[in-house]
Amino acid sequence: MLAPVSVALKFGFLIVLYLFLMWVAWSALRDLRRGRGGVVRSDRAAPYDATGMYDAASDFAEVDEDGFEPRLMVQRAPGHENGSTYEIPTRGATLGRGDVEIQLDDPFASAHHARLSREGHVVVIEDLGSTNGTYLNEEPLSGPQPLHPGDRIRIGDSEFSYEA
Amino acid sequence: MTARNRELLGLIPASLLVTAGFAGVFIQRSNALSNVSLTYGALFLGLCIAAHVFIRLTLPRADPYLFPLVAVLASFGLVMIYRISPTLARQQAQWFVLGLVLFAGTIILFRDYRKLERYRYTIVLVSLGLLVLPRLPGIGYAANGAYLGVRIPGLFVFQPAEFAKIGLVVFLASYLRDTRQVLVQGGRRFLGVTLPPLKQFGPVVVIWGLAMATLVVLSDTGSSVMFYGGLLAMLYVATNRLSFVVIGLIAAAIGFWYLGTHIPHIHARVETWLHPLNPRLYHAPLGSYQVANSMFAQAAGGLFGQGFGRSALSLPAGGALLPFPQTDMIYAVITAELGLFGAVAVLITYLMFVARGFKTALLARDSFSTLLAVGLSAMFALQVFVIVGGVTRVIPLTGVTLPFISYGGSSIVTNLVLLALLLLISDRARRPA
Repeated sequence: MLAPVSVALKFGFLIVLYLFLMWVAWSALRDLRRGRGGVVRSDRAAPYDATGMYDAASDFAEVDEDGFEPRLMVQRAPGHENGSTYEIPTRGATLGRGDVEIQLDDPFASAHHARLSREGHVVVIEDLGSTNGTYLNEEPLSGPQPLHPGDRIRIGDSEFSYEA
Repeated sequence: MTARNRELLGLIPASLLVTAGFAGVFIQRSNALSNVSLTYGALFLGLCIAAHVFIRLTLPRADPYLFPLVAVLASFGLVMIYRISPTLARQQAQWFVLGLVLFAGTIILFRDYRKLERYRYTIVLVSLGLLVLPRLPGIGYAANGAYLGVRIPGLFVFQPAEFAKIGLVVFLASYLRDTRQVLVQGGRRFLGVTLPPLKQFGPVVVIWGLAMATLVVLSDTGSSVMFYGGLLAMLYVATNRLSFVVIGLIAAAIGFWYLGTHIPHIHARVETWLHPLNPRLYHAPLGSYQVANSMFAQAAGGLFGQGFGRSALSLPAGGALLPFPQTDMIYAVITAELGLFGAVAVLITYLMFVARGFKTALLARDSFSTLLAVGLSAMFALQVFVIVGGVTRVIPLTGVTLPFISYGGSSIVTNLVLLALLLLISDRARRPA
């Protein structure tokens, strides 16, 4: 007596299932199309805008009124494109492997490796007690040091130059 | 529509599936349409909405499709297990609730899942310890010649290999993240192929060897294929060297050929895979009875299946026509009752879950997250391949569970923890920088 209901339930089950799967596939496809310039962007998918600046860095970049824009330029660093730059905001920036402003994908880097802080127009670098040390122009860093344009900062296999 | 509202919308089909499925099974069992199936559907929807609200509060940016896909798989599982045995279905529902509690616990405890890295050696030791646990006298026991379970008398039974799965992926993600550059740069080229340096590769080989040896001792070939495949996938993503994968596959081929010809338990599995209809094997204890009957059951399903509760699982005289329908053979039961279309839908659901997992890996900003997401997704995909491949006789049948569908507490709890980790990674990846 209920056999037709049973058959209807079976086909209903399959229809709901396929509609759901089509919905997921369709949304994923739309995601993909939008993905290139869209809401969700990873720095790996789209590392640069036209100025060669990291998207990730731009939201904490604040330009001083008098145009002082200290930057770190990547000389060589795993996971970073050579020649890309990071601005150092007025509140400073930390380098390291952890959840910090400038993330290093380097086996020799500590989670919070070194700190760049701004004092007026001077940027000071300080090692945060890292395991493998920070090198300023190939000299191991001990205590805070002011940076001069062209200085080279090395952490493990990652090397940056300071530009102002 | 925001991501979270899309997730909420995706839960509605899952609860409809539970309702329709339970109603279908009721009709077949007692020839009555009862509103109890609506209650089950509502209960399931309630549980899923509770989990959804939790995700909405804690991980607002996480991938919106992962959880609905899991809910659909779980509804499949509940309906099919209910069709096989209502008692088991009640237990499975309890495991699902416990799994959701652990899911929430994982999200709260490992909000910053990268702190897992700090405990990587502890994690890998515990995982390896879990793997050998079933071989210990007293608590371990063997099922079908494989040492899979641990039984604490009077308390519970669990399958430690399921938990070890996640631990090994966490360890490998953390270890490969540290050594991936050295693996590539320190490598020597030989006959145009990059060979990895032994010093950094050593621990990977040791872990692999330990896992393999443990699994040979436990005779659990299914998990060993899963672990090894997951390791290769992570190695490939970490180093971008196809040569490592090729070397690994050759090593595995030699290893499995040796095991297949020299370990009696595994050799028997290969024989039943090649000749399931051989009368001698068909009537042998632990012979090809299960594999052969699963093929008949799937063939009986046709395109659209026989309908809920209408496939034959036991003989009229008593005794199982399809042994272990709720664990090993659940895919065959689905094919029998919902046909090719139902079975393909299950596979597409898994495919989409894995695709979302890889998408998460692509979006992740640090290599630990990428490797973790890749490892978890690859392991999940391989688990589906090992069991579905076994049931459809593409590869020899080995007993692993069909994630989120098979009956089994360890499996559903572990896979919900896996889901929690994927959601955590995807939430962090989608956070604006």
